[in-house]
Amino acid sequence: MSVPLEAAQDVGTVRFTLDGREMAATPGETILEAASRHGIEIPHLCYTPGMRPDGNCRACVVEIKGERVLAPSCCRAPAAGMEVQSASARARHAQKVVVEMLVSDVPERVYRPDSELARWRRWLGIGKPRFEARAQPSADHSHPAMAVNLDACIQCTRCVRACREVQVNDVIGYAFRGAQSKIVFDLDDPMGESTCVACGECVQACPTGALAPAHDAYVVAADRMVESVCPYCGVGCQLTYHVKDNAIVRVAGRDGPANHDRLCVKGRFGFDYVAHPQRLTKPLIRKPGFPKSGDFVVDPANPLSVFREATWDEALDLAGGTLARIRDAHGSRALAGFGSAKCSNEEAYLFQKLVRTGFGSNNVDHCTRLCHASSVAALLEGIGSGAVSNPVMDVMQAEVVLLIGANPVVNHPVAATWIKNAVKRGTHLILADPRRSELARHAKHYLQFKPDTDVALLNAMMYTIIEEGLVAQSFVADRTSGFDELRKNVAGHSPEAMAPVCGIPADTIRAVARLYASSSASMILWGMGISQHSHGTDNARCLIALSMLTGQVGRPGTGLHPLRGQNNVQGASDVGLIPMMYPDYRRVDNPDAQHRFEALWGASLDAKAGLTVVEIINAASAGSIRGMYVMGENPAMSDPDVHHAREALGRLEMLVVQDIFLTETCYLADVILPATAFPEKTGTFTNTDRTVQLGRQALSPPGDARQDLAIIVAMAKRLGLDWSYAHSRDVFAEMRKAMPSIAGITWERLEREHAVTYPCEHEGDPGQHVVFTHDFPTPTGRARLVPAQVTHAAERPDAEYPYVLITGRQLEHWHTGSMTRRTEVLDAIEPGPVVSMHPGDLAALGVVAGGAVTVESRRGKIVLHARADDGTPRGAVFVPFCYHEAAANLLTNPVLDPFGKIPEFKYCAVRVGAGGEISAETGYSQGSARVPA
Amino acid sequence: MAQRSVVDVSKLRRARAVRTQPKGRAVDPQALADVQALLGDAPRRRDLLIEFLHRIQDRHGHISAAHIVALAQEMRLAMTEVYEVATFYHHFDVVKEGETPPPAVTVRVCTTLSCQLAGADALRAAAAKACGSNVRVIGAPCIGRCEHAPAAVVGRNPIDRATPDAIAAAVASGSVEPAIPKHIDYSAYRRHDGYRVLASCHAGERDPESVIAALENSELRGLGGAGFPAGRKWRIVSTEPAPRLMAVNIDEGEPGTFKDRHYLERDPHRFLEGTLIAAWAVGIDDVYIYLRDEYAASRAILEKAIAELEADAPCALPRLHLRRGAGAYICGEESAMIESIEGKRGMPRLRPPYVAQVGLFGRPTLEHNMETLYWVRVILEKGAEAFSSHGRHGRKGLRSFSVSGRVAKPGVHLAPAGITVRELIAEHCGGMLPGHEFYAYLPGGASGGILPASLGDVPLDFDTLQPYGCFIGSAAIILLSQHDRARDAALNLMQFFADESCGQCTPCRVGTEKAVGLLSKPAWDVPLLNELSQAMTDASICGLGQAAANPVASVIKYFSDELEGKR
Repeated sequence: MSVPLEAAQDVGTVRFTLDGREMAATPGETILEAASRHGIEIPHLCYTPGMRPDGNCRACVVEIKGERVLAPSCCRAPAAGMEVQSASARARHAQKVVVEMLVSDVPERVYRPDSELARWRRWLGIGKPRFEARAQPSADHSHPAMAVNLDACIQCTRCVRACREVQVNDVIGYAFRGAQSKIVFDLDDPMGESTCVACGECVQACPTGALAPAHDAYVVAADRMVESVCPYCGVGCQLTYHVKDNAIVRVAGRDGPANHDRLCVKGRFGFDYVAHPQRLTKPLIRKPGFPKSGDFVVDPANPLSVFREATWDEALDLAGGTLARIRDAHGSRALAGFGSAKCSNEEAYLFQKLVRTGFGSNNVDHCTRLCHASSVAALLEGIGSGAVSNPVMDVMQAEVVLLIGANPVVNHPVAATWIKNAVKRGTHLILADPRRSELARHAKHYLQFKPDTDVALLNAMMYTIIEEGLVAQSFVADRTSGFDELRKNVAGHSPEAMAPVCGIPADTIRAVARLYASSSASMILWGMGISQHSHGTDNARCLIALSMLTGQVGRPGTGLHPLRGQNNVQGASDVGLIPMMYPDYRRVDNPDAQHRFEALWGASLDAKAGLTVVEIINAASAGSIRGMYVMGENPAMSDPDVHHAREALGRLEMLVVQDIFLTETCYLADVILPATAFPEKTGTFTNTDRTVQLGRQALSPPGDARQDLAIIVAMAKRLGLDWSYAHSRDVFAEMRKAMPSIAGITWERLEREHAVTYPCEHEGDPGQHVVFTHDFPTPTGRARLVPAQVTHAAERPDAEYPYVLITGRQLEHWHTGSMTRRTEVLDAIEPGPVVSMHPGDLAALGVVAGGAVTVESRRGKIVLHARADDGTPRGAVFVPFCYHEAAANLLTNPVLDPFGKIPEFKYCAVRVGAGGEISAETGYSQGSARVPA
Repeated sequence: MAQRSVVDVSKLRRARAVRTQPKGRAVDPQALADVQALLGDAPRRRDLLIEFLHRIQDRHGHISAAHIVALAQEMRLAMTEVYEVATFYHHFDVVKEGETPPPAVTVRVCTTLSCQLAGADALRAAAAKACGSNVRVIGAPCIGRCEHAPAAVVGRNPIDRATPDAIAAAVASGSVEPAIPKHIDYSAYRRHDGYRVLASCHAGERDPESVIAALENSELRGLGGAGFPAGRKWRIVSTEPAPRLMAVNIDEGEPGTFKDRHYLERDPHRFLEGTLIAAWAVGIDDVYIYLRDEYAASRAILEKAIAELEADAPCALPRLHLRRGAGAYICGEESAMIESIEGKRGMPRLRPPYVAQVGLFGRPTLEHNMETLYWVRVILEKGAEAFSSHGRHGRKGLRSFSVSGRVAKPGVHLAPAGITVRELIAEHCGGMLPGHEFYAYLPGGASGGILPASLGDVPLDFDTLQPYGCFIGSAAIILLSQHDRARDAALNLMQFFADESCGQCTPCRVGTEKAVGLLSKPAWDVPLLNELSQAMTDASICGLGQAAANPVASVIKYFSDELEGKR
């Protein structure tokens, strides 16, 4: 891209001469950037756009008139009148010798066909290098995702900057000195044994392929590139699928608003599940003689042991027909549907429409109930909107970030990189979490408070703010209500009184409260450590009140951000995949809303709110729900007290499961409908920032698997609905009519811009990244301050069950593991179930790290390997819930928060014992893997 | 579908074993306790990392992987941040699991040019034999005792004119700490009007403008090698926004240079007074003094001097931070030294910005060589002429020549700027050593090039040697005789540069290494060496790489008969 000279007359531009051409550089632009913009190429290796220039390779040196030595054009800004020569004999000589020296030290072997070193070698016309090669290091193939071939390393340190300055994972170092200088992982450890989290940013940055995807994946030339979005978490990273012969060969980060080229291990390396041989490719019908029970198991590699293949018509007729019969015989409320936050907005919208108009009730819900339902309840109650006030990226503009009950390094890895970037730029991070994560190292204050004492800690912060006169008086007066009740409530919660409750010294609570309250811009981000409690709504109320008391909302870098879990949990909720709301959070018990949607959909609607996830399971157990349609959810793994949930699902007369693998829920299905994986379909997905993004189809589905949208339409037909949606865009067009918040977003704009943030009510609106700038979407326009009392978890440790069980996720595995445990890389890094415990607790039990541990609650028992982790507090154990062999949810307590109806996944009492029989079954070992052919 | 073969995933998983701890190394509780005890209540500041590594190395004789991991945790750094710093410096022995820690005593035999001329290679081999296997005898880059060549260090104890027996005796007797040279201590310095000038500044009897003007008039130039006018530097930094910092460079590592040590071991307070006057004149509250680790005696002297000064201060003092290098020539480069003071690898920064504007901790920084500050007192006491009245052959000022090699009286010789090497040999050095005739000389240490005896009448000063492709630098003069070859000296020096290259930029990191290979061949590939030299000189980030090829260029230019095998 070249800018004509006439156009570059703005203030601050610098006019200089390059290779005899007069040109203008924009403010801050380097010689190299200006040259590139004007179409003049200068060799460069250690420089890459978007990364801090380092000026170490010296391939880009240029001659500047009047200077003694050459200057690196990647680092030098032109001065007015400067005369620069990039192609003079002297400059070109240095460029050539530099590249020749580097070429002499790397092997002929090609690690990536588009090696930048090879490119500049050709460009400079360098033949066989005249210098002798260095002694070469041996390859390091210890990591399942990446190969380290330092023989191709040119020490440009792009990987170091990628690891340390971009992702801030701080694994890669530049050690030793002189010619011995070496890229190292940690203490020059094999990559696979280092603290590497396999984000792959270094691979993306490496110009020569010295760091490359494992198995020579770079060497395979893709025949198509498809711009899409990551299927995993709510951050919503944009990515590019590199496809050859209907297979994804690799994934690269793309410059989306949430990720700017960054990805994490799941996004970059977790794509081969789509090609796993256990993909469901034919409709299946349960064979007679296999009664369902909570203990019933099917080998996912061998579904025909229990099911028989069927045609689509037969399967759909049986599934839809039976559900219709139940509806007609037992009423609309005898049916329920679980959609999924993994599916697109269009699929979620159609699914809830099917339940509401085809089943005829509001018994539709999805896993939002299990993650942020309490946060949303508190947000709707307090400020009238359940979505974030500011995008994650606003941490870069915040002076203080309070991160509580969240472990984004694991669950929102790319979001965590922005937090770390902000800290590097001077933002103060306050991290509050009973489990110490890697982010603690970056925090100004790390508060390892006792589990279950959020309200005590937060009320004590509010006490300090009120007592010390740090309340934003005019904001509270003008934009909130309920301050007096709040003040009275927190009066009994001085830091001194709460310190013994939450385990944080009063002085620290006060310091943190002052820091948060008095900064020019404070952001609060939280996760399921806040929400997944029986007092999760109270926890969230405190965060909202903290923000309102101090006026820390409604400006860039200032606000509230519940980090949404699934890639489309925001969107699925927005489009009404919840039992009490129509699309755009219109309450089903609001007659205006009901009439509006009855008119839009041409059907009469149930005015009564439906049941939530756990309530539906309980109703199934009680026999009042008789048939279910489950799309992409796995309640048989994800629900609390999962044995009970499985029993309940087993009682259904008809369970229809639509999925890509034979999940644990499928074990109990009557009909299984083979669906499409994320890269096999096109649709929109709304990330945690309220940004609607387009996922584009990269592959065709395997076998007879069908697109989810088509399956919903076909099911609807069996339920008496005559729908004709041919494509996601048709559904999206209807959604725009149903949802004022996205009415301004056109499909064409999404195709063009890839991402648009709502609210975007009119076509052409830019979309609002920061909301609540002037008022709140409540009836009064004011926020409501809701006091919260210190209460306790439903089941606290006692003599019999003395430990606290905390459940959650691991970096490598997504939700119930059905996808990630079927990807080679992720499975290799985390192959089986573990319980993390403090080394002191392990020693007390007499268990060595890696030894077997039995964890037992009043509801169930699992046996797994111990992982010594001093980030886990004493007296607590952490178990990820993705492992079917030792399902953490066999232990969890199904007690619900009264407002959000979210289960208490983050706290129940267990006992822990040394030893036990560890299941020999682990993972999906029948799987395939990509290996060099 | 792309070509795929199906295998059991389990075969790809390493024994299907779940990890028993979070990714990477875990902190060893004992190592953490060790580190916490060693650090005591010191603030866990990043800039103290090298100081902390010294504490571990001093206590344990090496730095184990476990201690690195523990130190990282204690300082809230990534472990690789500690590792990459520890492995950068020669004086840290990083020992990983399964590796053998070094013996309790290390003998460093200087192998750089002046000592090599005096037989360092043979000494090193013989010393290793004499000391036995319980002692580590290694070669070391210039230790700044060239006037006593060959020199070695047992532990921290320097052995001058070392012999295998002397080294073995020191090892046997456990003499591993240096003797402290007799020097002018605080009370003696005060008795002889020491700190009077400083006190007069603080008392308002002088103002910064007049002091800076006096420095400017004296024509005192930076004596670390670059020769930047000192007064002008003070003026530039004094106009930068506060807080301003000061960094004093006593990382005297240029082969052949030992003048800073010479003065420090005799009159440390004269240097400190100059430093404090500079800090006062420029408005500086924090002064960092970076002393090379090889100068253990100097460190002891300076620590004591600072303590005595602070205990009985003649006036308000800035905070003085004495920092210890860890064995890295490159840290004598001003921006590399700043990086090292900040606790990082000593990798030079790109300029611009200049350290006067963006220096230590990102602040405007007055950086000076030790000797430059040493002369401040006399200039202010006696007037600018005290310095500028000296000189010869049209040059002005005094130079402290560090002379070594084949002369009868090596040492620091204070002589008029502009003196020629022949005059220096005759008037100050007692002539050449018996049996040695003047053949060639290095006018500016390892970096300044090599000149033949035929150019022995060129005035020695800043700017006078440029026409010959050489420079005076820190005024380290090394004399070669008819028994020596310039090409051997060039190879020795290139090996030095290759060992001491920080490894940051290609021309220096790769260039010095390739040059060693080319220079080691019996027949030099002169065209290729010329090409390489040009690229190193033009494209390296800092003076090390830019000057590393100077000796090679000199040999090609002045000593072609050596290359033709005539010598």
